[in-house]
Parts: sequence; structure tokens; C-alpha cells
Amino acid sequence: MPCTLVSMDRLITFERITIEPPLEAIYRRLGFRKGLTQIKPDEARALGESIEKARSLITLKGAARRLPILSKGSRLIRLPGSHCLESTHLAKLLAGSKEVLLMGATAGAAVIEAIRRDTAADNLTQAVVLDAAASEMVDAALDWMEAFFARDLRRESRRLTKSRFSCGYGDLALENQKLFYDLLDLGRFGVELTERYILAPEKSVTAVAGIETTG
Amino acid sequence: MAKGQRKFLDIMKKRPLILDGATGTELQKRGMPAGVCPELWCIENPLVIGSVHADYARAGCDVVYTCTFGANRFKLGQYGASDARSVNRRLALIAKEALRGKALIAGDIGPTGHFIQPFGEVDFEEAVAAFKEQVLGLLEGGVDCFVIETMMDIQEARAALIAVKEICDLFTMVTMTFERDGRTLNGTDPLTALTTLQALGADAVGCNCSTGPDDMVRFIGAMKPYAKIPLIAKPNAGLPKTAGGTTVYDMDAAEFASRAGALIAAGTGILGGCCGTTPQHLAALRKAVARKKPVPPLRKSLAALSSARKTLLFEPGRPLAVIGESINPTGRKALQEELREGKTALARQMARDQEAAGAALLDVNVGVPGIDQEKAMQDLVMALSAATELPLVIDSAKAEPIERALRVYPGRALINSISGEKEKLKKLLPVAAKYGAMFILLPLTDKGIPETAEKRAVVVRAIEREARKHGFTRDDFLVDGIVMTAASNPKAPQETIRTVRWATETFGARTVVGLSNVSFGMPERKWINTSFLAMAAASGLTAAIANPAGEELMFVKNASDVLGGRDRDAAAWIAHCAKAAGGGKKGAPIEALPPERKVREAILDGNRDAVAGLVGETLKAGFDAAKLAQEIMIPAIVEVGERFGRKEYFLPQLIASGETMKIGMEALDPFLKEGSKAAQRDTILIATVKGDIHDIGKNIVALMLRNHGYQVVDLGKDVAAERIVREIERHRPRAVGLSALMTTTMTQMKEVIMLARKQGEQCPFIVGGAVVTKAYAESIGAEYARDGVEAVQVIQRMVR
Repeated sequence: MPCTLVSMDRLITFERITIEPPLEAIYRRLGFRKGLTQIKPDEARALGESIEKARSLITLKGAARRLPILSKGSRLIRLPGSHCLESTHLAKLLAGSKEVLLMGATAGAAVIEAIRRDTAADNLTQAVVLDAAASEMVDAALDWMEAFFARDLRRESRRLTKSRFSCGYGDLALENQKLFYDLLDLGRFGVELTERYILAPEKSVTAVAGIETTG
Repeated sequence: MAKGQRKFLDIMKKRPLILDGATGTELQKRGMPAGVCPELWCIENPLVIGSVHADYARAGCDVVYTCTFGANRFKLGQYGASDARSVNRRLALIAKEALRGKALIAGDIGPTGHFIQPFGEVDFEEAVAAFKEQVLGLLEGGVDCFVIETMMDIQEARAALIAVKEICDLFTMVTMTFERDGRTLNGTDPLTALTTLQALGADAVGCNCSTGPDDMVRFIGAMKPYAKIPLIAKPNAGLPKTAGGTTVYDMDAAEFASRAGALIAAGTGILGGCCGTTPQHLAALRKAVARKKPVPPLRKSLAALSSARKTLLFEPGRPLAVIGESINPTGRKALQEELREGKTALARQMARDQEAAGAALLDVNVGVPGIDQEKAMQDLVMALSAATELPLVIDSAKAEPIERALRVYPGRALINSISGEKEKLKKLLPVAAKYGAMFILLPLTDKGIPETAEKRAVVVRAIEREARKHGFTRDDFLVDGIVMTAASNPKAPQETIRTVRWATETFGARTVVGLSNVSFGMPERKWINTSFLAMAAASGLTAAIANPAGEELMFVKNASDVLGGRDRDAAAWIAHCAKAAGGGKKGAPIEALPPERKVREAILDGNRDAVAGLVGETLKAGFDAAKLAQEIMIPAIVEVGERFGRKEYFLPQLIASGETMKIGMEALDPFLKEGSKAAQRDTILIATVKGDIHDIGKNIVALMLRNHGYQVVDLGKDVAAERIVREIERHRPRAVGLSALMTTTMTQMKEVIMLARKQGEQCPFIVGGAVVTKAYAESIGAEYARDGVEAVQVIQRMVR
């Protein structure tokens, strides 16, 4: 019986990711600076209510997939199924990795609809808070998925790279979003990919991290 | 009592039971290469895993785990192995051979690496079947007990526990892994895990991995007051650190053992070690606890319900619980239709609405004639489990839908209801016992509903006698007072109240009523219902099935809690009043200020509710409209921008002030003379370019520009270059603003500018968005602004 890894290649989906809104990150995204920004109690309460509203509207769902790296050069990373990613920055991140973890998450359509309604109703103050909360919560969903895999990886004497990479950043072209979208089957969550490789609803993200061997 | 339990309890009368320590790191130290499947490697290297087992037994561990943490079909499949049962059997046999009776062997069951429905894609029965393969193999290998460990998903822990209990009655421990914030990654807290798992039949519950002993003191402390069973702590050797590319833990054996006293004092009866611990850690632990006697479980029963994330305790002094009644298709055509179509969206919305209105529990009924009620109930319970934190009440006249729901519900549910009807008792009591559910005891029999409280008491006692045969206590049910319609029997409400009082004061049980039936056929039913609720609450009522959207009802419920001593410091009452008052709107600015200063303060404070009135007040006091705009309001909004620039304000304040300014200017506009009106200012055209759907930044810029008196033509998002150029021709703007968030859409900005120039349009452009830089803007011949405030400044400069 082989005791080495044959294939981790199974899509893992998370129908409900339950996390608390990362308040510090939401405040920071809204421009709050400790020691400089002054908030009155009623402003803080209104902000808290808007974040609570965001929490009730956001349904975080996610999917992840472990894939072996078939080969990699200084720019080209080959994955199974003739898939490849081209990026010098990503290749550098994956220098010590033999596998990648692809991840995708969405905050769902309800919060985007609420942002649209608030904007149309001249309640942009609430809209920006919902927008910031959704952005940070969907990002936190990726952190959550990393924590989920980190436990298993530790047992395998492996770990995730310290950072992750998303399409459209650095030299990893946004066009790669199609590869993530297909491999993670994000359509199952009602997420669509536009012809310009943008995920809709808006607060949907993908990322890739490397899996390294430790010790 | 589970098979083998006596051995465990006898040890715990004298000292804590000691479980083993980490296996993976020990195997690596003894030659297991990185990246292999530990289970399969151990089968190929039985002497190595045997030596780890033997070392833990020598260290004084009472229980040693088989090396089968990942020996389930999902994880073994990743290594090309398919016969999970055989792998488990062989590894149990290796443990037995190595230990030769020197320690008890626990068959170890770990997570599959997938989430189970309703939180993931793996079918609940598939998970149960996978765990059963492990259980059968481990039993064939001769294990003495089972441990289900490192679970972050309560539903997966349930699936594994059901798998064990459906095959054997060996002593079974379950440990969840809580992060430092006191919840599993999936959001379950220690008390909720305990409530669910001990009701489902776990013989010991606790925590392992993720944290060191210090954090686990808190987790054990949260569970102890409510535990009927021993509690387990199997911490890591402190917190992990990375040293030379390897993960190490910060506690040596002596320090690790020194924390045992605090864990035992918190209520731990079973101790062990997880990541980073070694046989030396366990030897030191065993020595440290030799004379420390654990505190036995403090209670024999627990009146509590749970969802996956929350526990509701029915303890003395707790508030009256409202059970939301809306998810019931009787008289609700839209819900009937949805259930027929197999959809759940409306029910999920109803759940969220009732939760927001203050319900503590949700009743779920799928009684639509002609549908598969078993499937409908299962699907709806799973959908609601993911949609709400509130525990569910499974409401059906039939036993089968209730059983299906209890099997998949990731918590401890309440059955509505079990009556004294023979067939119901026979079918439902075993089902409730198997899944550890609480139930509503409905005191009626095959002969009908007893009319008086005394006759109902006789039926209650008879049902209780039957329930005791299945292990239930008075903490496991709520007596239904049976509410009959006052319109048809004026004495009926009094009999209900007397039943509630008897059940509370004489019998010593919790009680519930289905409230709204009392007013059936009456006008203004809400007053009858709320009055009846107050009467029942005063008689000791525990819960009421009612509509939490009723404002009067929730006020009376909360008031009853205050007057009945169930709302300490009236905290819930105050919160309810504040919520009902709309969360407290911003008050008017300081009264002593002159009216025009109040307008300024309103803009600075973002006081949208007050500004229009203040503008009117100022004008009424004889203040000139143009002067108010030019000398008060515009300087105020400029001041807001400056505060934003200095980071004294952040985005919500900037926008609230912006919106206040907009409302103020709208109020002022009819009083401005033509020459000073905003319409006389320059027109700015803005759009988010084609392909891009992110427009919140553009909307902020539009608001800022309007507040500085510009006429803004906002074309929206995903706007093609051709349309933008057409609108430039039409509106002749002084400047055009373009936004884009993504690298792929940013290039559209260049196309818009090139097309405009090609068609002879010479208007200046300003661009912005997350990925846009000043350098890019310059490269396409545009100005750049990083936010709304800067956009106003740049445009003011451009049009000057």
C-alpha cells in the first residue's frame, strides 16, 4: 500500500463559514486611525448597527482545492490538467512549495443588493460601511479556510506560505480568474465571472497559497 | 452506563484519568518522513508506532490512542488506500500487541477534512457510514473505548458519535478543538458543544489541540457547571513557535505538568497532551496529579437546548423564552407553495425576522398535505441550521419527520410534542432518547384532552413514568399547559393557568403554552394574547409559542421578566426599549448656540435628521440664505474635508456630513436667488468604466462634488466609452471623472480618453480607483485623485 500522497485533488466546499466581523480591519478600511480619528458614542453605535446589519446580510461560502505543482520555473507554474499560472511574483512565493491551495469565497448577493438600495436611497453612509464589512469579511473567510487547512497540514509536516496571492495583483493577470473560477466551481454559489474576469457578486474573491514541507 | 465506564469512573474517584500525548511528532522523531500518510506508514513500520504506544503506557497513561486519526475513507483515499476498515483493524491490533494490557486502547476517530451538511458538501449519512467503517475495524482490532477528537464541526462530531453508538455501547469520549477566542473554527462554543454531545450520548466531552493548558482552563470552566459527564482537557505543550523552519512548542514537561492543578480545579476529570507533548510531558503530568482528586459532575440532568452556535438554558431566573411560531404553513399560502416546490428561502427569511424580533427558539412545521413531509422537514431543518443561531423546535403530528429532523440537526432540539397517545409514546420516546432531544409533554391521551388541571396532572405523571424508562428526567421536557379557546369555553384559560402553576410549583417541571389559541374568534386578539401571557408568566411559565413580531407581546414579555426577577438589573428591558425607540437617533445640537451655528454643527456631526429643520429655523431668524450657504455651510463641509485629510474623521463621518450637507442645501435651495444657486456652477460628468461593477468610490466622489456646488451627471457603472463620449457632447462638462477598480478594466480609461480626443473633445479627465496610480493617470493624459476629498480639490484646480 503506498503511504505517499497520491492525490489531494478533491474540491472542498464550505456552505456556511461563520466568523465574527473583523472590527479592527473594517474600521481601518474605513480610514479610522488610532489616536487620530475621533468618534462620538452615537457615531460608534450607528457604525456598530451597520456592521451588525452587514453580518445579517452576509452569507459566507467558500471552496478550496489542493493541487500538486507539476513543474515551475522563474515565471511559469504548471498545475494538473494543463492549467498553468504565469507570474514572477507568484513563482517566487511558491519557491519552496510542491503544492498549491486554491481558495475562493463569496459574501453572497444580499449585501450587494443592500448597498445598491442604500446608495439609491441616499444612505451612502451605511452603504460604505456595508461595503467595507463585506470586503473584510470575505477576506477573513480566506483566513478561515487557511486556518482550516493549516491543522491538517501540520500533521503532514507541511504548512502554508505566509502570504497568499490573488489575481490582478502584482504580475498575476486578472485573466487567471477563469482558472480559479472553474477549478473551484464557484458557479455553485451563484458567483458569475464577467467577460472582463470580474467576479459577481462584487464581494467574491479568490487566492492561491503555497504548501511547503517543514522540518 | 456505557460498557467499560466503571473502569474510568473508578480511576477518577482517586485522580484524573490520563490519556496519551502527541503521536505525529513522536513518529517523526523516530523516522517517519514528512508528507507520508501516518496510518499507512505505521502499518509498514509497526515496531515504531508500537514503541510510541509502549512509551506512553510506561509514562503512566491510562489510555493510549490507536494511530487512526486520519484512517477514514476520505483521507486514506488521498493516498490511494480504499479499505478503511482493514487499516483500522490492523492499527488497533498493533496497539494491542504493543500495550499487552498495560493501558486501555482508545479507537481514535479524527475529522474527515471535509465539512458535513448543512455546513459543507458531504452528505450526513455518507459521513456516518465512513465513521462506521472505522468503528467496525477498531472493534475488530479489540479497542476498549473510543475517542472522537480534534473536531471543529459539531455536525461531524455528531456523525462520528452516532456511528459509534449505533454499533456498540463502549465508553466514548468527544473532544472539540476551540481556538483561543473560545469557539471552534465553525463557531461552536464549549457550552454548546457540551449541551449537544452529552445529550447525544457522549460519555465524556472536552477539548484538545489548538491551544495550551492556560486557555483550556477557560473552556473547561465554561462547561463544568452544566456537565453531567466527565470533562477532558488534552492541550498542546503551550503555543507553537517556528524555529529553523520547524514548529516547536514553548512548554517543557515540568511547565506543562504544572498547569494540571488549574485544569483540575476548573473541573477536568480526564487529562492528556496534544501537539508538542512527549512521553516525558505525560510522565510529569501523571506524577503531578497523583494525589489530585477531580471534582465529579455537578448535575445529573440539564434543561438546555442548542443550535450549532448557541445554547439556551432553561435555568431558574432565566427570561421567558418566546418560541417563534411563523414557520408553519397553516394559513400561510406562500410558505405552503414554497414547501411544495422544495424551496426554503421564505422560511429562512422568517427565521431571520423572528430572531431579530427577539425569539429565543423557532418552531418548524412542514404540515402541507400531499408533500413528502420527512424530506421537507429534513431539508428545512438543515437550511435553518445554517441560517439562524436559534435552537429549533421540531413540530409535527407524525413521528417520522421528527426522527429525520433530529438525526441531521446539529444541536439539541425540542420536540413539539409527545402526548400520552399510546402510538406516539411508543414511537417518539425512543427517538427522543436516541438523539437526546428535549420534548414538550402534551397532557392528552387517546381519550382526548382532560378538561381540568387535576386531570391533566394525572396524564403528565403517567407520561413522565414512561419517559423515565428511557432515561428522561423532569429537566428533559416542558409541560404544555394546553391552551383552549376562551370564546368557546370561558373556564379554559383558568385551567391552563392552573396547569402551569401546578407543573411549576408542585411537579417541578418547565412549562410552555401555545399562546394565540386563547383568543381565537375574538376581536383585537393581541390584547387577549398579551394579557394571557402576563398571567401565565406570573404563574411560572417557561416558554410561549407566539409571534415575536407583536410589539405589545414583546413589551409584556420583557416587562414580565423584570417583574418576575428574570432580568437582572433590567438590562434586557432597557435594551428592548432602546431598540424599540429606533436605536436612539442623534439629538439636536446644543440649544444655546445661535441657529446658523447649529447648522454648522449639524454638518460637522453628520446630523441628517436635524439639518433641514435647522436651516428653516435659521432662515426664519432672518439669516440670509446665500450667506448661510457661503459663510456657514460650505466652510463647514470644507472643514469636514480637512478633518478627513488629517484622519480626525474617517469615511463614515465624511459621508454622513456629506449627506447632511446635501439635505441642508436642498432645504436652502428654494430660498437662494438665481445668481447664487448651485445650478450655476460647473457640470462634472462621472462614470465607472465598461466592465467594472465596483462603484462605491465613484458614488462618494459624486456626493462630495455635489456638496461643493457642482452639477454632477452620474452615468453609473459599466459604462461603454462610446456612451461616455456621447454624454460629453450632450452635457459639455467642465471635467470628466472615470473610476475603475480592476487592472483589466483600468485600460478602458485610456480608450475613453482616446475616443474623446479623436472626436475633438478637449475636456480634462480625472481618474481614480483602487489600482489606478498617479503615474498611470499621467500616462493617459489625465489628472489623478486618491479619494473623494482630493477629487474635489483637483477638480476645483482644473476648472479654475
